[in-house]
Amino acid sequence: MASVKKTLLIGLFFAAVCVGGFFVYINAAFPTVRCEAAKVTHLNAPEDLSDCASCHAKTTPRDAQDWKESKHGVLLVKCFVCHGQPDGKGAIPFNAKPEYKTVCGACHEPAMNRMAAKYGEVGDCHTCHPRHQNPIHRNAFEAKTVTDKTSF
Amino acid sequence: MTILRRDFLKGTAAAIALSVLAGPVRAAQSGGGEEKWIKGVCRYCGTGCGVLVGVKGGKAVSIKGDPRNHNQGLLCLKGAMLIPVIYSEDRILKPMIRKGGKNDQLTEVSWEEALDFAANPFKKALAEAGPASIAYYGSGQALTEESYVANKMWKAGFKSNNVDGNPRLCMASAVAGYITTFGKDEPMGTYNDIDAASCFFIIGSNTSEAHPVLFQRIAKRKETSPDVKIIVADPRRTNTSRIADVHVSFKPGTDLALMNGMAHVIIREELDDARFHGKYCNFVKGNDPVNFEEYKKFLDDYTPEKVESITDVPAATIVKIARMFAESKGTVSLWCMGINQRVRGVWANNLIHNLHLLTGHICRPGATPLSLTGQPNACGGVRDVGALAHLLPNGRMVENEAHRKEMEALWNLPPGTIAPKMGRHTIALFEGMTAGDVKAVFIHCTNPAHTLPNLNKLTKGLQTAFVVQTECFKTAETLKYADVVLPAAFWCETDGVYGCTERRYSLTEQAIKPLGESRPALEILMDFGKRVGVDPKLIPYQNASDVWEEWRLLSAKSVYNFAGITRARLKKESGVKWPCPTENHPGTYLRYVRDDDPMVPKDHPNKVFFYGKPDGKAVIFLRPYDPPFEPADAEYPFVLTTGRVIDHWHTATMTGTVPELRKAYPGAYVEINPEDAKKLSIVNGDPVVLETRRDKLTFPARITDTCMPGLVFTPFFDPKLMVNKLFHDAADPISKEPEYKICATKVYKVS
Ligand code: SF4
Repeated sequence: MASVKKTLLIGLFFAAVCVGGFFVYINAAFPTVRCEAAKVTHLNAPEDLSDCASCHAKTTPRDAQDWKESKHGVLLVKCFVCHGQPDGKGAIPFNAKPEYKTVCGACHEPAMNRMAAKYGEVGDCHTCHPRHQNPIHRNAFEAKTVTDKTSF
Repeated sequence: MTILRRDFLKGTAAAIALSVLAGPVRAAQSGGGEEKWIKGVCRYCGTGCGVLVGVKGGKAVSIKGDPRNHNQGLLCLKGAMLIPVIYSEDRILKPMIRKGGKNDQLTEVSWEEALDFAANPFKKALAEAGPASIAYYGSGQALTEESYVANKMWKAGFKSNNVDGNPRLCMASAVAGYITTFGKDEPMGTYNDIDAASCFFIIGSNTSEAHPVLFQRIAKRKETSPDVKIIVADPRRTNTSRIADVHVSFKPGTDLALMNGMAHVIIREELDDARFHGKYCNFVKGNDPVNFEEYKKFLDDYTPEKVESITDVPAATIVKIARMFAESKGTVSLWCMGINQRVRGVWANNLIHNLHLLTGHICRPGATPLSLTGQPNACGGVRDVGALAHLLPNGRMVENEAHRKEMEALWNLPPGTIAPKMGRHTIALFEGMTAGDVKAVFIHCTNPAHTLPNLNKLTKGLQTAFVVQTECFKTAETLKYADVVLPAAFWCETDGVYGCTERRYSLTEQAIKPLGESRPALEILMDFGKRVGVDPKLIPYQNASDVWEEWRLLSAKSVYNFAGITRARLKKESGVKWPCPTENHPGTYLRYVRDDDPMVPKDHPNKVFFYGKPDGKAVIFLRPYDPPFEPADAEYPFVLTTGRVIDHWHTATMTGTVPELRKAYPGAYVEINPEDAKKLSIVNGDPVVLETRRDKLTFPARITDTCMPGLVFTPFFDPKLMVNKLFHDAADPISKEPEYKICATKVYKVS
């Protein structure tokens, strides 16, 4: 039992080192990107905050990287198109998990209709299509494994 | 730090397939409780995406892509955020005039007072100084019906050919390119070619940011057929190059040499289609016919090695892309302002056409030279309508007597009504205003005080002449100079036709009532014209449908025939492509091709017939490399170029009202290569001065390898940092389109 605990603790320690190291790396890797995350909350984001990616490359690097590599990233369908603006003062209601019918439907309604005809109604889009992950040259319903890629 | 194409295309090895049993979803038809969906076209770019506007309680509440139009339901982020633009606080909702001259304030008045105040100086100028003293400056964003009526009022009513507009600044070189090579304007291909191409040659276009939905279609082609090759030739490594197999970064302004180099390789390696160019092409140097041998000799100056010394592109790369272009099953070329906005824009256009004619990659599915337009209605609304200083409707020329006579007959005018001399093109127009020769100008649906080149010089004309402007937004820079501001109804508050890049006419139907006191611009134009003295019989229209009816039937007298595209049909269908001579004609995919293009006689002996030319043959031009007007030199060592960002459109009067878009790019910046930044000790965000021979401006620095060393870029949307102040106004001698893409600049950090 004790050895299991020890292994777990060591594992946790390594995980912490890895995660910490990753953030240190990311910060070092983007010396030119200003990260306001420490000072800025979503509700008081200043007018000149530029776009979401500069902070999210550091705060949620996996999501940011997944988006960048996805079709939405290649096609520059930026965060706010689906999520709205963090201060809630934007044209699209701010939502970390957007309502799929109107948000996805604005562009993908024909595909959604096709899917519904083929499979019936089951959950929302992300039941099958993993969030943020849909690179060119891979099926849209395949999820990606964790990547260690950090280029952005 | 960059994602290599290879990296993102290869995906991950260990993808976990989620169970498809989990199943997909059912579409939302009315997520916001919309009472009806009204069909239209996106207000922004020349892609011309179909939209559906959701209306509830008389208000537009939502927007989605029209699944039946070419965009198949997709919209880019700008199109998806059009609704808040309608209800922006920046809307102008009442007419305004400056009673006490240019230094007075704009004050709100009634329509009656504003229109009289607007018309009187035009009447006076006409009486005292004649038709050449008044002008109309229009737009590739105006509705077709508006441009048609304005053009007719000016050229037939006032006998003034001073009709020009912002398309002169954006696609005049493409028009002259098509006309010189094929005899008629507008592309032979359509967007369908994207789905069938095996190779894309994208040059002078950041498609991904300027035409996002088309870029999606190209990416999809690549996704479904990974063998498809994509060549992106651009001195900047823009987002478009993320899907490229080869990104060719050439020295700015040397693309003419690059394309002649490609032609050299194609002929040297016998990759040309001799049967095609032997049968369907003439070779021409200047105005003189030459033969294929002379063309080959001309290309001796463009060996890959010589071209490398001009362009800085490795000779091996030139050979590689020439082979890719020629050896594919079908190549589609796409280009935009990088080619058009140049002192040799027409030649550059000709050279793209050359490559297609040489290889026979034309007039077949998936093989075409397709010029992208920046504005939603430059093609249909201005090029076809003939609303430029040298044009008459349907490709006719002002200075061609037979063409003038035809138009006089069609418009029921006494012979000799249309003035025989072309009017003033844009630069000459604003110079004429400064000189006092043009006394009054009607500006419709555009913002020249922001978009003209060499702004400090050319806006002087706006300070001198009497300016009437139709405008929807208070933020337009030109308002500062306007003597009269007439609030036009915006986009889906009125109805009218847009014609996009692919010869497709689509109708925007009225979804909601015009806000405040704003009125449809067509009504404004006609009210104004009658007050100035246009014979009401010349413009007897009750509404836009009446104008379309006249225009549609008039087109039947030309090879731009779309008499089959009735208003009723436009209401029913999501866009129809011309030529379309009869109501049961489905619209044309391949122009100049027998059995496809109704303008080619069914019994024509050849499959391809370039009917714009007297002998039915297109032209391969011997166009030498000519450097840009103002290359970098010892004193001004950097090249400055401009362009778009995806979030903003033109001068951001519309996109700037959407919080998300404004925040994504609140202001302009200057892109500098890390090497240059290091030499100049500039770090990200530093204030950096760009100083040219005209002016200087300070931008925050953005250090990125998007620009090659020696090149800096700034977007042009920001009204606070109008980069056009830095640019010269040298223009192409044929198209009169200015060279916005290249000027020499100093770059230094604010000390
Ligand atoms: S690609 Fe152009 S036309 Fe289509 S939605 Fe975007 S801005 Fe509008």
